[in-house]
Amino acid sequence: MKTLEIRNLHVDVEGKNILKGVDLTVKEGEVHALMGPNGNGKSTLLAAIMGHPKYTVTEGTITYDGKNVLEMTVDERSKAGLFLAMQYPQEIPGVTNSDFLRAAMNVRRESPVPLFTFIKSMEKTIKDLEMKEDLAHRFLNEGFSGGEKKRNEIVQMELLKPDVAMLDELDSGLDVDALHVVARAINNMRKEYPLSLIVVSHYERFYELIEPQFVHVLVDGKIAVEGDASLAKRIDEEGYDWIYKDYNIQPASVAAPVKRSVTLGSCAISEKAKAAK
Amino acid sequence: MRDIHVNEDILLEEGFAEFVIDSQRDLDLSIRCLNHSQALFRIRNAKSLRIRGFADDGVESTVLFWNECEAPLTCDETYEVNEHTHLVIAYGECSGSKTDRSTYMALRKPYAHGELVSASLVNAPMDYRMNVVNFAPHTLGEIRNFAVVLKQGKLMIDAIGKIVKGAIRSRSHQTSRALSFEEGQRSTILPELLIDENDVEASHAMSIGRVDDEQLYYMMSRGLSLSQCTALLSAGYLMPVADVIDNEEVRNALRNELERKLSAL
Repeated sequence: MKTLEIRNLHVDVEGKNILKGVDLTVKEGEVHALMGPNGNGKSTLLAAIMGHPKYTVTEGTITYDGKNVLEMTVDERSKAGLFLAMQYPQEIPGVTNSDFLRAAMNVRRESPVPLFTFIKSMEKTIKDLEMKEDLAHRFLNEGFSGGEKKRNEIVQMELLKPDVAMLDELDSGLDVDALHVVARAINNMRKEYPLSLIVVSHYERFYELIEPQFVHVLVDGKIAVEGDASLAKRIDEEGYDWIYKDYNIQPASVAAPVKRSVTLGSCAISEKAKAAK
Repeated sequence: MRDIHVNEDILLEEGFAEFVIDSQRDLDLSIRCLNHSQALFRIRNAKSLRIRGFADDGVESTVLFWNECEAPLTCDETYEVNEHTHLVIAYGECSGSKTDRSTYMALRKPYAHGELVSASLVNAPMDYRMNVVNFAPHTLGEIRNFAVVLKQGKLMIDAIGKIVKGAIRSRSHQTSRALSFEEGQRSTILPELLIDENDVEASHAMSIGRVDDEQLYYMMSRGLSLSQCTALLSAGYLMPVADVIDNEEVRNALRNELERKLSAL
């Protein structure tokens, strides 16, 4: 059985200590919910597992199937079976969805996926996620609405079939109908094979559809409370205040948003205008 | 396909034609474009090339130069674009050697429309001078450059759009973009607009930059190695140049060649 094990994980982001000793064990087929107020380390944990270059692990270990994840490059982690559906999927102009996905599928196979097989599975996945048929030929996420980007993350997940999928606020930007479509696609994958999930969401509604067995609440870089699905329900009804009181802890204050750098493809003038607001 | 070994006057007739320039010496070519002609010139070997191009009134024509030379190349080109004529001169640069190119395009008569388009995989010093001059009223000149600058590469583009006095209602537009993957890469793009008439439209856009780290992280998080990301992103940047040729077979052949070059990086 493949297990993702995180022990005493400390993570810095641009010199600031965000995670302060996280322990988490995710076994095959388990569904874990990560909750907690904004800015307390949920996304940081997922990004550190995936290997985002800005997130520095200063202490602790991450292993998957007995292998040291921290020694792997980002692409090696993906090939090892880890997947992160990102909160803000990147737009990649010039690279079509189909070229990208075919390349990503091929890196995990001995021989390249035959074109016909690829087209068939891509068509099926696009249908499952109720996306527009021209998705394959469009540039990766370019000009997609927020909801389309999130659904496209699940298109990728369905085609790449990871062992451990991490969903970072997948439900934000999705309307109720889309939420059901996405949850159905994920649940269908779980029926096919023992997919493990780590789900970050603020909403009970998404958890009702995905049904986590374990709920962890991250406060100030540590897991403050753990429980079963009823914990998510209580947080939905009562908020986090009772946790702060019962466990005598304080949440990390919400950090100022990270300044986005102006890069190729972004308009310097509109970035400046946004910053002025 | 026709080989060119010596100086020649070439007539591009209606339809598609492919030429291979393969010579150990300096070549002098003249190209006359007839209506609805499209041509691909593969430059395999040439020390220096001198090209004089001419498009008659009312002609629509496209010429793509595909530079696959192993040795350094120097090109000196001039094009005359006439009344109600649309001429596209495109360059696909895949050479691993030093390339010097100077192109002068004269929009000689009213309603002439000239385009200079380049896509360059820069793996050696590459020096372009592009000069598009609007001599007559209602002419349109466009320059578009896309370059991927690799480790050994050094790019220099001097792009000039000029509108002379009296060329009223003329337009001159240019865009140049260079993409690099490593820190400390040298690229210089000088966009220039020399405007001597008031009633005109002119613009230039330019960007030189490294690939966004977030984009690379996103692509790698799906299992692609850094070099695969480089190849995919570069392909997306450079491939569109092949689209100037209205022939699926040729386009695919060029795409495959470029992809092979990129995946070998």
